[in-house]
Parts: sequence; C-alpha cells; structure tokens
Amino acid sequence: MNEGNSNVKPVEQAPQAQIRTKRSFSIIWVVPVVALVIGGWLAYKAWSEKGPEIKISFESADGLEANKTKIKFKDVEIGTLTAIDLKGDLSGVVATAEMKKDTARYMNDKTQFWVVRARVAAGEVSGLGTLFSGAYIGCNPSDEGKPAKEFIGLEKPPIVTSGQPGRHFTLSADNLGSLDVGSPVYYRGIKVGQVIAYDFDDQAESVNLTIFVHAPYHEKVMQDSRFWNASGIDLTLNTEGVKVDTQSLVSIMLGGVAFDLPEMFEPSQPAEQNRSFKLYENRESSNERTYTVKRYYMMYFNQNVRGLTPGAPVEIMGIKLGEVVDVKLEMNADDLSARIAVLVLIEPERIDTVVEHRVATTGAKHSVSGEGSKDEVRQLVAKGLRAQLKTGSLLTGQLYIDLDFYKNAPPAKVETANGHLVFPTIPAPLEQIVQKVDKILEKFNKVPLEKIGKNLQEAVATLTLALNEIKTMSGNVNGETLPKVNATLEELQRTLKGVEATLGADSALNYNVRTITDELSATLRSVRSLVDYLDRNPEALIFGKEGNKP
Amino acid sequence: MKATLATARQLGLVSCHDCHLLTHMPQIARHQAALCPRCGCELHQRKPNSIIRTWALVITAMVFYVPANVLPMTITSALGSTQADTIMSGVIYFMHHGSWEIALVIFTASIFVPFMKFIILIYLLLTVQFRSIKRPSDRTRLYRLTEAVGRWSMVDIYVVTILIALVKLGVLANIEAGPAAIYFASVVVITMIAAESFDPRLIWDALEEQHE
Repeated sequence: MNEGNSNVKPVEQAPQAQIRTKRSFSIIWVVPVVALVIGGWLAYKAWSEKGPEIKISFESADGLEANKTKIKFKDVEIGTLTAIDLKGDLSGVVATAEMKKDTARYMNDKTQFWVVRARVAAGEVSGLGTLFSGAYIGCNPSDEGKPAKEFIGLEKPPIVTSGQPGRHFTLSADNLGSLDVGSPVYYRGIKVGQVIAYDFDDQAESVNLTIFVHAPYHEKVMQDSRFWNASGIDLTLNTEGVKVDTQSLVSIMLGGVAFDLPEMFEPSQPAEQNRSFKLYENRESSNERTYTVKRYYMMYFNQNVRGLTPGAPVEIMGIKLGEVVDVKLEMNADDLSARIAVLVLIEPERIDTVVEHRVATTGAKHSVSGEGSKDEVRQLVAKGLRAQLKTGSLLTGQLYIDLDFYKNAPPAKVETANGHLVFPTIPAPLEQIVQKVDKILEKFNKVPLEKIGKNLQEAVATLTLALNEIKTMSGNVNGETLPKVNATLEELQRTLKGVEATLGADSALNYNVRTITDELSATLRSVRSLVDYLDRNPEALIFGKEGNKP
Repeated sequence: MKATLATARQLGLVSCHDCHLLTHMPQIARHQAALCPRCGCELHQRKPNSIIRTWALVITAMVFYVPANVLPMTITSALGSTQADTIMSGVIYFMHHGSWEIALVIFTASIFVPFMKFIILIYLLLTVQFRSIKRPSDRTRLYRLTEAVGRWSMVDIYVVTILIALVKLGVLANIEAGPAAIYFASVVVITMIAAESFDPRLIWDALEEQHE
C-alpha cells in the first residue's frame, strides 16, 4: 500500500466481493473414483487372467530362471516360471510355473514338458535360438487324460506329432539296435518319418517302436509293407558279387528304419493308424515270405547232436521247410536211457500242394502236415518220410534236419508227446554205416571158427587117405590093365576092317541093297497111284477100271 | 504471547487470484462463492477445498502406485529372450550387478520419493484436520520438500522414454515401455497436483485460531 498515492483508498474502503451460489459437491472426488475403477479393473483382469499354477520337476535347473523362462507351445508363450526350488530330497528341482488361463484344460497327465536347449546331434540341430535367448520349456499339450498339477519334465525333447498330419505305427523288434528316438524312417531313400518312442512290450520280450510317418507318405505304408532296420551298411557277398545296401549317410551313423512293399505282393489297402509291423533285421530278411501257419513237431534222436542249434533249417529235398526251435536232452528215469528231443517248427505254407492238377496257392488248405492233418502225416510217414540229421557244412560241423522218403525204412508210428506230434527219425548216414558194420561183425562173431577149423583138419586127413588110395589104384592101372587094353584095341581094329569090306561102297551087299531099294520105291509108287484111283473111283473094286470098259 | 500482526483473513480481506485486487470478503454460505468485483474471478481466502482435493488426489495416486510397482515398467527383448522388469526388479538387478549407485538413484527417485510424498501429505492433511499446533515450521518445511522433490520422480519415466527411443535394434535388442510407466507417470503427476492443491497456510491457521 502506497501512502503517497492519493488514489489509494484505505483498506476499510475495499470493495465488497460479489456472491454467487455454487455446487456443494466437489468434482475432485471423481479423480480417485476413476483411479479406483482403473485399479479395480486391473486387479480383476489380473485375477481373471491368472491361469493354473503347475509344478514341473526336472533333474536340473540348467538354463532355467524364475520369472524369465517361458513355457512355449509351437513357439507361443503359454506360461512363465515363477519359482525354482530344490526337491526335498535334493534329487532334482521343482519349477513352479504360472500358465495362461486358457491352457487349464490342456494341463493333464498326458501333457509333456521338457527343457529346450541348443541340441546339436548327428542329423539334427535344434534350439539354436536358445543359445542367445536362454532355454525355455517346451510343452506338448494333450486334451485327453486326467487333470494334473504336477508334472515330471522330460530330459530329452520328444518328437511332437500331435496335430501333425500323418500316422503312427508300431514296430516290434528283437532289440533296439542302434535306433533311437528321432531315427529317420525311409521310404525308397526319402525320409518320411521318424521313430518317436520305444519301449518294451508287456513281457519285456521284444522292443516296441512307435514311428510317425508324415502325410502324404503315410499312404505308402500298406498292410503288407515290410519294415527293416536300415542302420549301418548291409554288405552281402554272394555269387553275384558284392552288394552294398544303405540308406543315407545319416542312417549309417544314426540308424534308421526303411519300409517297402515286397515285390511279391500286390499293393493293398493303406495300413490303418497304430498298426503293428515286424521290424526285420535287414532288407534281405524282410523279403522273405512270412507264413502264418506254424506247426511244431518233436523229433527224437539217439545220436550226437553237436552242431544242431536252434535256427538250424529243416529241409525237404533241399527246400527249407522250417527250423529247429529247441534241442534238449531227455533222460528216461526208468532205464536211464537218454535221447535228444528236438522241437522243430514247420511252416506248411512253404509247400504248394498239387491237388487234382491244380496248384494251390500259399495258405492252401492242403498243408502237408500239422495237427489238423495228422492223417496226412501218417500217410507220409507210411510212405517212408523220415527225418534225418545231416551235416550242412563239413567245416563248421553245422547240422540240419533233412526230411526224405526212405522206401526201406522200418515202419513207424506217429505218436504224440508233450502235446507235439512225434515225427519218426532214422539215423544219420554215417551212423547207418557204422550200425551195419556193427551188425556184420556181430554175425561174424557168432561163427564157430574153432569148430570149423577142427572139422577142416579132419577133412584134410581123410582127404589124404583117399588120395593115397587113388595113387595105388592108378599104379595098378598102369602095370596090368593098359597092355590088355592095347590088345583089345588091335582086335577091334581088325574087326572094323572086316566090316568095312562087307559094307563098303563097292561091296556086293551094298549094290544089292540099293537095287532092292529102287525096286521097292517103284512098287510103292504103283501102290500109291492105285490107292489114289481107288479113292476117286471106289466102284472100280467091283466094276474094274473104267478104261477097260467098252 | 507475543502480539502478531493481523492477517488478511482476520481483517476480512482477500486478494484476487488473477488481478490481485484486495477486496472485503463477505460472510458467505457454504454453497455460495465470492467473486472479484473488478475481474469477476472467484475469490478464496484459502485454496478452495484444499484438504478434500488433496485427499482425493493422494488416494488416487496411492491407487495408481500399486500397478506402477506390480506391472512391468520395461519389456526388454534381446535376441529372442523377452524380459519384463518392474521398478523393483530393476533395482534388484542393478544391485546384484554391482551398480548399487544406480540402484540407489532408481530406488530413491521411483520408490522412496513417491512413497515419502504420500506419507508427508497424509501427515500434513491429518495434522491440519485435527488442528495440530505442533511444529508448524517443520511441517511447512516438509511441505516445501514435497513440492520441490516431486518432479524428480519423473527421472524414471525420462530414462524409460530415452531407452525406448535409443534401443530400437529390431531382433537384436528392443525395449518397450510396460503398462507400469503410465501408472507411474500418473502417480508422479497426481502427487505433484496434490502437493500443489494443499494450502500450507492451513498449517498456520490452526495456530492463529489457538491465539484468538
């Protein structure tokens, strides 16, 4: 306030302020209300978006970080790890993860989790992105199975096939070999799928592999397709030379499975999902026919079966008919005799039976043998069909069982033992010779050689006596009889000379006889003509000859 | 008691906000407002509705303070790995990596200061409402501190905006502002308005009433 300014009025003269009516409500309260609405909405959103919390246990938390590691499916984030704790027994770690809300229905006991890290293996490089970004947890959700909150993480990533077009098949093999999860499946050299899992079968007797064949190649798997283990190099040396069969370089290192349709089969229906196939050891064996009818026979041998092993072939006329399944020694408790029981497997379908000039195809009803055709076996055995052990290789001493017809075989009956038909056997060729020689020797043994020798001695003595007698006899003949014989002969000569004189060609007797003979023949001729005439004209006997008639 | 000079309010005088004309303040009812006879501006002896307005703004700021700290402030993606950081996780990150100075700055500017402002404002509001006469000058000092320090909380927001603008390397590295940035900025702005709407003369009014 400036006192010197005359225009300035004292404070008392300050003007009166005007008055206006105003709102009683203070608008400022809208601000916190708006803030509360926003906050409430945020809270509701957070609450409503909160998905299920799950726990996944792993062997180690290598690469995992709480609040950082994501759970991804098809590279879409579906959750985040919120905590990583050690298990109570220190055997591993438990990762707690908060999933997104809409994943709740996929969290069940079939859902798989695994840590995705950079993985560089032969034939496969994956997860390289994780080298920089850090590991994440892969997930293979499943919408079937019981809801679960706790999971056991896989140490190796599975092959995710859910949702991919294609088909699963099961292969059963004797052993896994070099195959592994991820091993490729080839069709004519093209990779069409992979092995996604393997496990024992129920009895742990074989290995079941699950493979996945991608579309559209899954249509190439036919019901008759054969799968074989294409691992490594299949080197075959035969009369045609060296044959090398491999798939790709990857399969040489990693192993693989290949399949194809055997040439002898016509393309059939594509195989359905989860069909089971046998995994053959190699392509060669996969091309062998398979026979569904299998019959078991028991054969008993009484000889050394060294070299006869399970798997040894059973042949008929050089054609494989089956194989040896089991060889064991059977001891008879009563008389302590032993024999070898050989169980053989015969596949009757290997034989095409000719019936009424018609060739029956594989699987014909007329199989050569079997339980159902015991009579046929009987007939064959009656015709002389016998089993015999033969040496397949002189070098290794491997034996095989040869079936053949033996006309001279002793008759045998087809019996049943332990539920198997017993097929009659005959000893092996070498064995047979030995047995025959044995028999001869036995007979030879029975000959009374001593007695024979004695008799012989006696006979020789008698013979000597007889010879002596003959000797004296011949001496008599020389001295007395021979001169007499000489005189007799001289006399005989003289007599014969007289006879010759009488009966000689120019002798009178001879002439006379000839003349008489001539006369006699003329007479006989006349008589014959007379008889002829009389035969024609018997009346001549009464009336005389006609020519004499007037 | 030492005699003091009469205040404008005791004399029934009021100065216009806009033209600063000194006027006699009439006795007005609650639903009425006094207007400046010269410029027509509404006249107030004290900031109008100071306490209620401050309360409302403080509550608003406190509501926003929750998402500002819970939600991520920055979303950093480097080579495919995405990381969302809240203010506190950033502080912890720097602390773990040895930069405790930076951690201290961020903590002070972004967590401690806003929180301290709430405490101070609520304390001031309560003492004024209960007509406390204790240590009015200290309380006025607290108020000045609140007003002065308020804007520095925006440091965090500035850092985030600069980072977002700088780190745009596509796949290699990328930083985005998280939703917390908006809430945090709101907290800072709203607390500044709240501090502004608080009338420190109210602290002294209680003292004057005591003397009367």
